[in-house]
Amino acid sequence: MKKPRGRQTEAEERMPIRHRWRAQPPGDSDEARAGTLLRSAAAVQPFGARNLAEVAARLRSRERHLSRKWAWQIAIAVGLLLFGGAVSAAVMHFLRVASVGPALPDTPVSMPTSKTVRRRHMLVAQPFVPAVSPAPEAPLVPGSTEEKSESLPVKASIESPPAPLANPSALAQESRLLAGAIHKLRQERNPGRALAMLDQHRARFGANGALEPEAKVTRIEALLRLGRHDQALGLLDAQTLTAAGVGREMLVARAELRAEKGRCGAALNDFNLLLAAEAPPDLVTQRAMYGRATCRAQQGDWAGARSDLEHYLARFPKGRFADQARAAMGK
Amino acid sequence: MPLVRPDATPFIESPSGVPDLETLYRTHAPTVARWAARLAGPLVDIDDLVHEIFLVVRRRLPEFRGEAKVTTWLYRITERVALESRRKDRFRRWFSRARHFEIERTIAPTHLTPVDEVERRQSSETVYRILDRLPAKYRNVLILFELEELSGEQIATLTGLKPATVWVHLHRARVRFVAEMKRDSERRT
Repeated sequence: MKKPRGRQTEAEERMPIRHRWRAQPPGDSDEARAGTLLRSAAAVQPFGARNLAEVAARLRSRERHLSRKWAWQIAIAVGLLLFGGAVSAAVMHFLRVASVGPALPDTPVSMPTSKTVRRRHMLVAQPFVPAVSPAPEAPLVPGSTEEKSESLPVKASIESPPAPLANPSALAQESRLLAGAIHKLRQERNPGRALAMLDQHRARFGANGALEPEAKVTRIEALLRLGRHDQALGLLDAQTLTAAGVGREMLVARAELRAEKGRCGAALNDFNLLLAAEAPPDLVTQRAMYGRATCRAQQGDWAGARSDLEHYLARFPKGRFADQARAAMGK
Repeated sequence: MPLVRPDATPFIESPSGVPDLETLYRTHAPTVARWAARLAGPLVDIDDLVHEIFLVVRRRLPEFRGEAKVTTWLYRITERVALESRRKDRFRRWFSRARHFEIERTIAPTHLTPVDEVERRQSSETVYRILDRLPAKYRNVLILFELEELSGEQIATLTGLKPATVWVHLHRARVRFVAEMKRDSERRT
């Protein structure tokens, strides 16, 4: 007697399946929904003659590939050595702090127990939590945490360096809150909740928070995911953006949103700024080239639009907008 | 149009009886690329992956004695390289999330990108997100059956499994896929 597994017996499981889910017509059943999903994933980009030739060329230059691989391995080995060294140094530092003991003039001298040593490790280690690492002596700064100021009052007053620019614990809290918002946005795909956390961040740390620029980018991303393009554009309009780093993505986002709102003049400024800078062959450049063509066409500058599309196709013949560009040019 | 220039230098010398790399590449690269694209999902660079696969093929070609079908042998290599690539990709995505913001993906749904293309891409990502939660043996069989549209017998030949085992894996893959699909849609609502 065969043992049933879930809903199907082993004998049933051995039965050939005759119908593919992909062949199911759309509907509300699980199979139909799965079929709809799978149909969407069925298309793959063809591996054409161009790809074949490119990979063949790479296979012929094996040595270059191997030397790159070696470079990576050496870099990783050096990284591990440096990391190991840093960990050893940190451990030695903690041991040294523990072995020195509190040495406070108004407290009785006693041998540190394992418990007190552990406690001191925690006190020293705590400020290393924030993303911006303070100097090794930072834990002794008065007022950095309440615990520390109670535990080491005299030592702190003797050894305290000039007051730090940012309170590490506040920075840690800010960092945690922002990381939570990003997690909600990216992992949990919950832009509404992410926005609520960003509001909390703003209420708590104001516009002068150390991580305010990152919070603003996250807010823009959340607003875009919620489809609140007007608000996102409002924030982006207030920014002074440059065509470098994350600024490129913000700039192209702003240009596209401006174009979407029919503000093609302002959008063209952004697209021009992006394309005037050194433009790597990435998607941002593709979007900027195609976006500028669209804006120029909307403004009646057909020659400019055509020139942009021709440049786009020459540079990105298999780009994301290549089909639309060819269709627009009647190719 | 020839896939590889006829005057091109062969990658390796051909041992007697065993196909040389160039012949293998010319004959099977498009199929291998399609398997790789299906197994690794939409986020990989397919040129890189095919390159990796044929580097392994070149390395292991002297060991190939023709006991298995060439396609079976190539499929197994593809499967392993694709699996490794997915692992690396997961790590890379995690690392890049910590490093920079993904405005590009977020803003794609503007009037400049056709909506249906965006939806197709999102659905495709959903399929692979669900498939990635299945054990590899179920995941791959489901991909070969539903996406590559191979028959049970063809899958058995390619994977080296018995036909009955293929059907068992496929039944279980389907049950798990539906469960994960429901879980995914609950998580998103």
